[in-house]
Amino acid sequence: MQRMMRGRGVAASWYGIARTATIDRAGAWAELDDGGTAKIVTGVTEIGEGILTLLSQVAAEELGIKPEEVTIGDNDTARSPEAAHAGATRQTYMIGNSVALACRDARSRLDKELASHWDVDQDSIHAFDGEIWSEGSNLKMTMEEAVDVCKKRGVVPVGSGSFTAHGTGLDPVDGSGSPWQAYVFGCQVAEVAVDTVTGEVQVLGIWASHDVGRAINPRGVEGQIEGGVVQGLGQALMEDYQLEKGHTKTHGFAKYILPTSLDIPQINTTIVEDPDPKSPLGAKGIGEPALVPTAPAIMNAIYDAVGVRITSLPATPEKVLAALAAKAKSASGTMQAAE
Amino acid sequence: MLTCDKYHMPTSIPEALAIWQDAAEGSRLVAGATDILPWAREGRAGDVNLPAMIDLSRVAELQGYKVANGRVHLGANVVYQDFLTDETLRQHLPCMPFCSIWFADDQIRAQATLVGNLVNASPAADGTPPMLALNAELEIVRLDGKALKRRTIALSDFVKGPGKTDLQPDEIVTAVICDSLPGYGGSFQKVGQRRSLVISSACAVACIKMAEDDETVEDIRLALGGVGPVPVRLDDIEMLLRGKRITADLITQASAMPAGRVASRTRQEYRRTVVKGFIEAAILDALIECGVPLPNAAEVENAHV
Amino acid sequence: MSEFELEMTVNGKPIHRRAKPHQRLLDFIRDDLNLTGTKEGCGAGECGTCSVFVDGKLIKSCLMPVAKAQGVQIETIEGLAPHGSDLTTVQKAFHKTGASQCGYCIPGMVMAATSALRENPDAGIEEIKERLGGNICRCTGYTKIFEAVEIARDVIAGKLSSTVLDADGAGKSYIGNNVRRLDAPSKVAGKLRYAGDMVMPGMLHMQVLRSPHAHALVKSINTSAAEALPGVACVVTAADVPGEDGFGVFVHDQPVMADDRVRYVGEAVAAVAADDVLTAKRALELIELEYEEIPAVFDVEEAMKKGAPVIHDYAAGNLVKHIPIRKGDIEKGFAEADLIVEQAYDTQPVEHAYLEPEAGIAFVDHDDVVTVISPSQNITHHRHMLAKIINKPINKVRFIMSPVGGGFGGKEDMIYQGILALATMKAGQPVRLVFTREESIISTAKRHPAQIKYKMGIKNDGRITAVSFEMISDGGAYGLSTEGVMRKAAILSCGPYDIPNVQIDTYGVYTNNTPSGAFRTFGAMQSQFATESHMDICAEKLGLDPFEFRRINMMRDGAVTHTMQTLGSVSIGRVLDAAEKASRWEKGPVGVRGSERKDVGGDDTRPPCTLGARFRKEEKNGRQEVA
Repeated sequence: MQRMMRGRGVAASWYGIARTATIDRAGAWAELDDGGTAKIVTGVTEIGEGILTLLSQVAAEELGIKPEEVTIGDNDTARSPEAAHAGATRQTYMIGNSVALACRDARSRLDKELASHWDVDQDSIHAFDGEIWSEGSNLKMTMEEAVDVCKKRGVVPVGSGSFTAHGTGLDPVDGSGSPWQAYVFGCQVAEVAVDTVTGEVQVLGIWASHDVGRAINPRGVEGQIEGGVVQGLGQALMEDYQLEKGHTKTHGFAKYILPTSLDIPQINTTIVEDPDPKSPLGAKGIGEPALVPTAPAIMNAIYDAVGVRITSLPATPEKVLAALAAKAKSASGTMQAAE
Repeated sequence: MLTCDKYHMPTSIPEALAIWQDAAEGSRLVAGATDILPWAREGRAGDVNLPAMIDLSRVAELQGYKVANGRVHLGANVVYQDFLTDETLRQHLPCMPFCSIWFADDQIRAQATLVGNLVNASPAADGTPPMLALNAELEIVRLDGKALKRRTIALSDFVKGPGKTDLQPDEIVTAVICDSLPGYGGSFQKVGQRRSLVISSACAVACIKMAEDDETVEDIRLALGGVGPVPVRLDDIEMLLRGKRITADLITQASAMPAGRVASRTRQEYRRTVVKGFIEAAILDALIECGVPLPNAAEVENAHV
Repeated sequence: MSEFELEMTVNGKPIHRRAKPHQRLLDFIRDDLNLTGTKEGCGAGECGTCSVFVDGKLIKSCLMPVAKAQGVQIETIEGLAPHGSDLTTVQKAFHKTGASQCGYCIPGMVMAATSALRENPDAGIEEIKERLGGNICRCTGYTKIFEAVEIARDVIAGKLSSTVLDADGAGKSYIGNNVRRLDAPSKVAGKLRYAGDMVMPGMLHMQVLRSPHAHALVKSINTSAAEALPGVACVVTAADVPGEDGFGVFVHDQPVMADDRVRYVGEAVAAVAADDVLTAKRALELIELEYEEIPAVFDVEEAMKKGAPVIHDYAAGNLVKHIPIRKGDIEKGFAEADLIVEQAYDTQPVEHAYLEPEAGIAFVDHDDVVTVISPSQNITHHRHMLAKIINKPINKVRFIMSPVGGGFGGKEDMIYQGILALATMKAGQPVRLVFTREESIISTAKRHPAQIKYKMGIKNDGRITAVSFEMISDGGAYGLSTEGVMRKAAILSCGPYDIPNVQIDTYGVYTNNTPSGAFRTFGAMQSQFATESHMDICAEKLGLDPFEFRRINMMRDGAVTHTMQTLGSVSIGRVLDAAEKASRWEKGPVGVRGSERKDVGGDDTRPPCTLGARFRKEEKNGRQEVA
């Protein structure tokens, strides 16, 4: 056997969006503000996934302004509507859709006043990137002017939105039920090099394809996938919280080993869009599902490379080398038996 | 959390020794300080209060290095990054860039000293095997009345066991002096749980000088770390190879020898298997650095992983 | 401790202050100079969130006693782009590529990237990776960071126009648009303040006393000596809880601090709020605690046996939750199979390792509203629970979610916010608690480890006839999210496959180990790891290509799931096709193909890491193994 052996493996996955086996809900408020800017108020803030940018994009699209003109007031149980938790791959789906609904509500107030002002059909009014116009006419103004018109008519263009995801509980006996209204699917291929001298596994490539419903910010989706892959890689190969009679043996990052820049495969992402029919945006989510297939894809690739099946995570160098030794032993045993 | 009552920064050896001699029991010498701060944390020593820390990093005499008479005199404040960035050191200590690049990371290497690594005497210290291979001695000083009393001791005698050295209570290590090996090819193998900033499960070092025929081993140095209470020099394998024409068979024969040296209390089987491959890889990598053709072209693939 | 005079230059400004000998450069920069862009992620030199330049060399400021910095030039993240000036090229590139997510590692990462390009403006990607090797990022998977550094390098070198750093523009829609992250400028410049960076006038510092035992009765707690220590404002214990104690995501079985019993090592027992951290630490040593150790259980199978130590009185068999799912007729399914394949799997507990350790600041406002600012992932639920615990109406409890420096589910538990609330109510002053990394690791939830028994029946034509799946998970000492994790693990366990007969059981079990809780995928990673490994084992036995075996069995539009839900559109076929095509997958049955394959080693992989990119000679660096 050569020292460095390469192999590839694949794993598929599926995941449910938003809270499990229950009704999930979230609310948001919106206001088209002076200067053609906007305020959006929600009950959560950024945990790194890019939700604030995403919500600004959704609000910008729905209101017809620019994302940087959106101010998100967030994160305060005493000042903002209920958004519930930042988890369960629910931010884009739950908060994103509630912001979309709130913005539509605010826009309809504005559009109604503008339709009356211009004396056109409300449905003819469209807005994008700071401008608002009536389709099929030369009536057009900036959003700043439109807000001013609306307010001079005595109306503040505010709106609210509440979005519901209808999951149902599971039957306590047979588990039947409809836990989520939206599902996503994924698949990852891993390519590894296994060092047969040290047992070290290097993951050199990942091809990740994930259905996200609709990618609001494709680069952000890639970022979530890349982060998920590397967390999956960490669990697959090195991370291990160890206890001895309830006492940890891995107190800090010198003992609890995390992936660094030298452990990162080239990650090739393909975004698949199968829009959700049950929500205004059509987007589903990607935060959690991204890491589900990574570890089994790597284990399958190790098997492809050197023929050892690691069923106990993580596949440390020591474990891989021991498995290789056991395989060699059993192969030589088989050969002897054949003689 | 590490606390201390006093933090001294002497600038000369006599000043440092005077402070050290008078320091209350439990005081510590520090240089880079990259090891002592993580030590005083939960899961290791916990909260520690030291009466005094005596920081040697500004002692003028401990700075820099000199090359003379086939030896390199490395002041105690030479940091790991110097072995990567300093052309002269790279030329005279050809295995050290490979060792250093595996040691911690750029930022810690900018602070951490080789001598500090040796004095800590960890069985997994990356710096000890190369220094053993380079016949290193430590230069030690203490105060005898008002006079400076110096001694030198071979590194192999200095390191007694995990965390144990021959350093006496009032002494300071001022330098490590090792062979200068220009024209040698050097290499360093290491495995841990990942590639950056990680403790060795095992490591190996090789320095090889080939004769003018490009086939005969004129000199070879080999050592292992992480495999027992103290790193070990592999004199027997060196003896086997020195003066011989290098062949794939010879390397295989050499690789089979060190497994018996593995004396770690944990993960022995793993370390035995790894060191066998490491000797071969260390030799091949060093041969590549020598610029000579490898005994078997197919084995090119094996090196540099 | 003797203070000393310290002179240095920080971001070009001369500084002359008194410092304490135990301070690290990191403490001095953050606490004394209020430059909080430099973060503390681990305090042990392992993560790089505290990287700063000292005399032009990048170092980890948690490893440098401040005394060492006497007379030096310091440059922090705030100094790269001083107030009022434009972001640097590196910072702009991080903004452009989306290299910051939670942002907590990002100041350190920007410093490391800056250092890499200062040391070698021409560095290749392998050298760049090595130079970033001391900085951990838990969110991004590093990929966008690498992209940013390469772009910055090329812009600085003039090989790329600086316009590549500009926004993409509106196009036709802001949906599907790579709008640059709006929060990135504040993160790459180190301006964003996380909870541990916040200060309030009159703020006290909290330290927490934690159990050294896995299972013990608390016989007595005497806090009087600690309370008497000068500088101590208050000591809080379970006795200070005015309402109904207990929190948890599904079952409220965990007290704010241990009452009569500790159930895991690291469980909070008492806390001190004092003028500074050192005083609070000293006070902890003065708390007299009498424990009586009682039998503990650390293994799930042991915990499920009759006669095992009972960890919670309400759960006599130590069972947190059992989730059963039944579909079809499992016996019939196995009887129809040509082949039955069984295999056990197990997964380890995993630490979230967000770079921002838990931190929070609490105060009681002018209207008597108890307010907690913390990186909580669930402020809505936390306020419900805290209102009961402190016996106040909902509108007198306010949670503010500070920027979360990585969560991944680990910050869904109200593990310390209750302690902060009790202390600020008692002391009448704002109180801040910042966990050390070690404290975060021992006291907060882990990913549930799982022991899985898998049995699959297959036909020779590749159809799966039946699966029985059993998973037992260690929930540790408290319930937290275990119930939900068991549910999600069960529902998703058998993967996106159309299987007529399934029998699924997941069990969450109490032990005296560190509690397990929510962690990105909520159990689905563990159960699908088993499924997807098993799929390959079965494909090999059938001589099938792994994609093919999955396609034979995958759910299709309108499929009925394991829980009998009828789906609409199912995209698994599309994602399989996409991955197969993108990876240039070479068809063939599962087995050892090793380097025989022609599809390995392509341009869309990286070369194996060989350390020393910066000094290896070119011809050697370029040499890779032949696939």
